[in-house]
Amino acid sequence: MRSVPSSSLVGPFADRLLALDLPGLHPARRREAIDFTTRRVDSLPSLMRFGVMSIAAIFRALLVLPRSDTLVKFLARTALPLLGEYVRLLRSLGYAYIWETWPDTRPDGSQPDDAEPGGTQPGGRAA
Amino acid sequence: MNPQLLAPAVSYSTQVLVIGSGAGGATTACLLAEAGFDVLIAEEGPWVEQDTVVPFSLEQMDRQYRAGGVTVALGLPSIAYTEGRCAGGGTEVNSGLYFRPPIDVIERWRRDYRIDGLDLDELALIADQVEAAINVTTVPGSPTPASEVLRRGAAALGWKHSEIPRWMTYPPGGDAVTGRRQSMTRTYLPRAAAAGARMVTDCRVDRLVREGTASIRAQVSYASGLRGEIRCQFAFVCGGAIQTPALLQRSGLRRHIGRSLAVHPTVKLAARFRDEVNIPDDVPVHQVKEFAPNLSFGGSASHPGLVALALSDHWSEFASAIEDWRKISVYYAAITSEGRGNVIAVPGLRDPIVTYRLTPRDRALLRSGMARLALLLLEAGATDVYPSFRGAPLIRHRDQLSTLNQQFAVSKASLMTVHLCSTVPLGEDRSRCGADSFGRVHDAGGIIVNDASLLPDAPGVNPQATVMAFAIRNVRHFIDTNGPSGG
Ligand SMILES: Cc1cc2nc3c(=O)[nH]c(=O)nc-3n(C[C@H](O)[C@H](O)[C@H](O)COP(=O)(O)OP(=O)(O)OC[C@H]3O[C@@H](n4cnc5c(N)ncnc54)[C@H](O)[C@@H]3O)c2cc1C
Repeated sequence: MRSVPSSSLVGPFADRLLALDLPGLHPARRREAIDFTTRRVDSLPSLMRFGVMSIAAIFRALLVLPRSDTLVKFLARTALPLLGEYVRLLRSLGYAYIWETWPDTRPDGSQPDDAEPGGTQPGGRAA
Repeated sequence: MNPQLLAPAVSYSTQVLVIGSGAGGATTACLLAEAGFDVLIAEEGPWVEQDTVVPFSLEQMDRQYRAGGVTVALGLPSIAYTEGRCAGGGTEVNSGLYFRPPIDVIERWRRDYRIDGLDLDELALIADQVEAAINVTTVPGSPTPASEVLRRGAAALGWKHSEIPRWMTYPPGGDAVTGRRQSMTRTYLPRAAAAGARMVTDCRVDRLVREGTASIRAQVSYASGLRGEIRCQFAFVCGGAIQTPALLQRSGLRRHIGRSLAVHPTVKLAARFRDEVNIPDDVPVHQVKEFAPNLSFGGSASHPGLVALALSDHWSEFASAIEDWRKISVYYAAITSEGRGNVIAVPGLRDPIVTYRLTPRDRALLRSGMARLALLLLEAGATDVYPSFRGAPLIRHRDQLSTLNQQFAVSKASLMTVHLCSTVPLGEDRSRCGADSFGRVHDAGGIIVNDASLLPDAPGVNPQATVMAFAIRNVRHFIDTNGPSGG
């Protein structure tokens, strides 16, 4: 699976997860955080990447089912061994990027009123 | 003088090839070059000047860590670990906290693993020399607020604690946050270069092939995709405790190699205070050693991104704290583990598989570590403590600690470690040692290990000084027995 870019398998679920967790996050920022997440997944050690991409493929397939929003909500909270680890990995990478790049982001992902949406803020840290 | 970096080439030759330029590799290369050996250092990662990257940032993880810092030892639960992958290895990215080699632990290793010629006075002398070479010192003036928290909490409980010195230089009149880390790219690598050592970066040694009794061919691949080879008489393998056994196994050497990984697993939590405590680009210098060596407490890097990470295990309850990240810092409880792990190179896979198994005693220690750490921080004045495990309760008072104890399970926690050792233990006990008393891999003439892999166990303290002391001892022995002309 080294040749499959993670953006196609990991990206869609990561997008839904971050949208669910952080509804106030501007879509441009969400995209940036997801780009970062998928880049990191692409550089994982061989076996770990294989495992992550396998789970990602299952999640990706589930997203096309009807009522996938309910499913995403369930998966976002799941503590099942491998599936839970996958969600935890995506969340960790996404959150780390968001708060390191835009440290004043609010808990729901929105920005303080005076901040511009999208792009890297002058006060933030480009990762 | 920085080493002159060689361009990638299809073929190089040298008398001694040093693979990896971290705590073990840089000291090895330096002493060999100063003794007159012809030395070439091959380093998988790039050369990154310290001032060009923010310490403990995601950018640093991208540029100087293996796999961007996302590496995991599989197990129940898995343990996240990190390895430096750059000129200077782990010494470029670590916290710089210096612990002299623990003599009682080393004495035990000498006995249990039958390490010949291990002179504790010699190690103490080496430690003195290392301390001078990397400028081990305490912070000028007051420690950072996040560090002071540990001191205050321990003092209130009457627990043993101290400021841990670091390998740093401070400008005249500087304070705790103005230090420059005296990592290998600032100390031993420039010395190696001044003595004539050459270095090639972005160059991974894939395999070592022994040809006859006096020649080794290292097959290498460069970041650019070019492949080549380096011929040498001796190869010092200093890739760190994960990559060294992986390389040896890829080279057909498997006996007692990669079977006994030892680490210091940690659990963490975030604590909020009334005042600002967070210094994003630095780590606390105090450690609490009341329950050492089994259990130690210290502070972690606390960039806002890392604070968010620490809160993310129970985001639905803890999220609101992130707005106050300047008042929050992240702390850890580390244990000496009786568990062990494996590093397994699988043909066809570029990276090894790493596993780790905690024992019931390890799990119990991690649980008590979490509760005691929470207590320490409450005593230090934390208004809120956010343990990092799934579904963790918010802790505000001492009487909630029993709830914490009940709800904590290692399987729910985000475990991690940055201290990796013991995958090629040294000694004459051939039933478990991968190398002899001076790091020579058994039955593999000319291939010598000289890094954290050699330590028979995780030492219970920050390990870099012990890694360096053993590396220097071994390389001096090599120089004495082989002489620069390659006798
Ligand atoms: C985040 C972090 C914080 C830490 N904090 C502390 C601390 O405060 N105090 C302390 O005492 N210790 C600390 N440590 C641990 C300390 O850094 C290590 O114990 C020490 O660096 C180990 O030295 P080493 O030579 O074994 O390996 P490393 O220093 O890891 O060096 C190995 C080098 O070999 C290179 N390499 C690997 N494989 C190959 C190959 N096949 N070909 C070419 N090159 C290769 C790697 O890129 C790397 O640069 C920390 C570690 C980390 C990661």
